[in-house]
Amino acid sequence: MLDCDEVMERLYHYLDRELSEAELAEVRAHLDACPPCRERFTFEQNVLRRVGKCARQLSAPPSLVEKVRRMCDQ
Amino acid sequence: MNQEQSEIPRAELQEEALSHIDALYRTAYRMTGNAMDAEDLVQETYLRAFRSLHQFRPGTNLRAWLFKILTNAFINDYRKRSRRPRSTSLDNVEDYYLYSHLIDSGIQPASTRPEDEVLASIPDEAVIAALESLPDEFRQVVLLADVEGFSYREIADIMSTPVGTVMSRLHRARRRLQGAILKACTAAACSVGSDGDACDARLR
Repeated sequence: MLDCDEVMERLYHYLDRELSEAELAEVRAHLDACPPCRERFTFEQNVLRRVGKCARQLSAPPSLVEKVRRMCDQ
Repeated sequence: MNQEQSEIPRAELQEEALSHIDALYRTAYRMTGNAMDAEDLVQETYLRAFRSLHQFRPGTNLRAWLFKILTNAFINDYRKRSRRPRSTSLDNVEDYYLYSHLIDSGIQPASTRPEDEVLASIPDEAVIAALESLPDEFRQVVLLADVEGFSYREIADIMSTPVGTVMSRLHRARRRLQGAILKACTAAACSVGSDGDACDARLR
């Protein structure tokens, strides 16, 4: 089984869903058995979600949408 | 035009391209730092996209293709004529794990999950300020991965960079971002308001 350091090395690949099925199973097995690592992964996931949520609070101005829509007709 | 390409009508492709305008705009806004330049960049992106729509390969990712055009327009066009200095430094911000700081500050990962309360108490403005303080390449990779949800492979294609570079840049960018969040939080935003006080106290 992976140790805590090995699991931490796979933190972002795990959160980014970039691990193979086999690697994913290894990380999950460790997280199931290790509450501190599980806490840590959850926290890091929440940080990434928070960044995404904050940065997505912005839409294109209607005037820009209209300009681009007019480009479609040309 | 080959047979495969002619399967999707131009109007349909344009309509699908238009559905990504919010994502392109918010990325352009975070890359240029202002609404006017962001609008110019998005218009330029669509101009180039519509002009070369015949080059788009059906079955591939239109959204990623648009982001690649946006990225090229930003690097080759916008940045060359921009008055805004290229952001490459982070002052004294170090790569950081926010979590390590919280734990070192005496917050224990208990069942009540106080570290999540700290995260929730950080104002949106501090998160955005931290994001905007990142050097261009770091900021872009975070925007593509954490805001727009692209895979490493897609980001590599969008940024014309090897996948290995994307991974190392993204991982480093996130640690820097956490350092910048901590800095932005302790420096300004978190000293305002009741939530901020809690955050400030927690992060000391």
